[in-house]
Amino acid sequence: MSETTTRRQFIDRTCRVIGLTALGGAAGLLARRASAHAVFQVDPVKCTACDLCRTSCVLSLSAVKAVNEFSKCGYCRLCPAYMDVTSQPDEKGIPSGKVCPQDALKRRVVGREDPDDPNNNYYEYTVDEARCTGCGKCVKACKPPAGNGSLRLEIRYDRCVGCNECGILVTCPSTAIVRVLTPGLSPTAAPGGEPHA
Amino acid sequence: MDENETGPAPDATGDAPRERVSARWLPIASVVGAVGVVAAAVLRPGGAPPAAPSAGSPGAAPHVPPPAQPAPALPQRYARTTVVVGPGKPGEFRRSLSGLALGPHDAIYALGDDEVRVFEGAGRLARTWKVPEKATCLAVASDLRVGVGSSGRVDLYSDTGVHSGGFAAGTRDKPADVTAIRLVRDEVLVADAAARVIRRYDLRGTERGVIGDKNKTGGFMLPNRSLDFDVDRSGVVHATDTGRHQVTSWTLDGTMVASFGKFGMTKPEDFVGCCNPVNVAVVPDGSIVTAEKMVARVKVYGKDRTLLALIGPENFDPMCWHIYVAVDSTGRIVTADPERRTIAVFERS
Repeated sequence: MSETTTRRQFIDRTCRVIGLTALGGAAGLLARRASAHAVFQVDPVKCTACDLCRTSCVLSLSAVKAVNEFSKCGYCRLCPAYMDVTSQPDEKGIPSGKVCPQDALKRRVVGREDPDDPNNNYYEYTVDEARCTGCGKCVKACKPPAGNGSLRLEIRYDRCVGCNECGILVTCPSTAIVRVLTPGLSPTAAPGGEPHA
Repeated sequence: MDENETGPAPDATGDAPRERVSARWLPIASVVGAVGVVAAAVLRPGGAPPAAPSAGSPGAAPHVPPPAQPAPALPQRYARTTVVVGPGKPGEFRRSLSGLALGPHDAIYALGDDEVRVFEGAGRLARTWKVPEKATCLAVASDLRVGVGSSGRVDLYSDTGVHSGGFAAGTRDKPADVTAIRLVRDEVLVADAAARVIRRYDLRGTERGVIGDKNKTGGFMLPNRSLDFDVDRSGVVHATDTGRHQVTSWTLDGTMVASFGKFGMTKPEDFVGCCNPVNVAVVPDGSIVTAEKMVARVKVYGKDRTLLALIGPENFDPMCWHIYVAVDSTGRIVTADPERRTIAVFERS
């Protein structure tokens, strides 16, 4: 056997290395897909907050909830998703009505509170998921340009039962329910959540 | 037509003709009488107003809307006279329109499509030049220097577009979110929405001071993350404090000297929504022009800050985040609608 490598041998070894690398990559990709879980999720760009998520989920209390993306939120005092700006103003001229029919959108002052002038306060808005029905009224009110668009609807995986008969997917008029691969995430049933008969 | 075909049958008594006349006029008289009764009821002073839908009716709103107030007759009226830039016109912006400024001879400088475009006369595109991608605002000095702001940076150009300088704005760990700039004498004023203040720089980028931090919150309240301002002839800075629904006025040394505006959804002089006004411009006579989003409209406030004029939402795209405004030397209001990518001129009528 010759000590010097012939051109044929070089090409042969190179092809073997490339083939093995490609095989390993494909195997890794398949393993990753096998370990991932396909779940439904709401595409916030397509979602029109039409209220059908509230009624179309197989659960009696929809697995779709409003969530607030704090990095986008303006921490407004006069949040259009919290206050119904068309409602009757109180004695201070602030709208008295709330957008959420379940009063599920809560707020608290963050940072240093100025009790004398509420204009100087920032408010953090969170969703009480036990109350939220996923109607999307707050999401619609927060859409730009009225708000910053920080509120969006999301399928909560701790509530979704993974029934594979997603009523929301079928009903959604804007095809905003998409199937996404989420590695390592497993949708589980919510405590007390029960599917429709 | 034979009368007997449709009329009453002839009667043998002598009263027949009179009865026939009565019978003919009776329906007409009834209708006239009914109209009269209705008219009297409607026109009667203090008459009952039309019935409002009850709260429990199926179509009732969840909250009682505020009582609608009749639009007051404002002392001034503006009408759109010219569309300088728009679809199909020379110099049309195809992707973006993100800034507006007026030169000393009322030439219109517009920022969009990563270019500065200069329009002279009645919309003649005079020149263009490239600027950094995603530039956010521009300003023109009285000596025709042009400043362009982008994220964390200000660039300076000559009137022909030759780059003459620039500097980083903000701090090293927190670059400025530059949303407005003005060139005032030998200074560049930069609205930094990230730090919620207006920064004063010399032309080399050395910071000379800060405007807007001497208040309880250490800066403007900006839920919409945008700060706009303009400088009047006496050097007073008028800035949008959107979270407070105010325009606040500051001296260059950072002392607040005045403010006006409050939230309100019914009176036209108030500012609507979560955070307004979003843009501001100063009129040469000291009046102030403001622009609001959601409801997209432009208003003119006099020197005593009473509302003088309102340019209604029918003139702008309802989805506008901003309406860039500027006022020329003759008091005409120039607006840039970034959604429709149009620049229009409004004149007093």
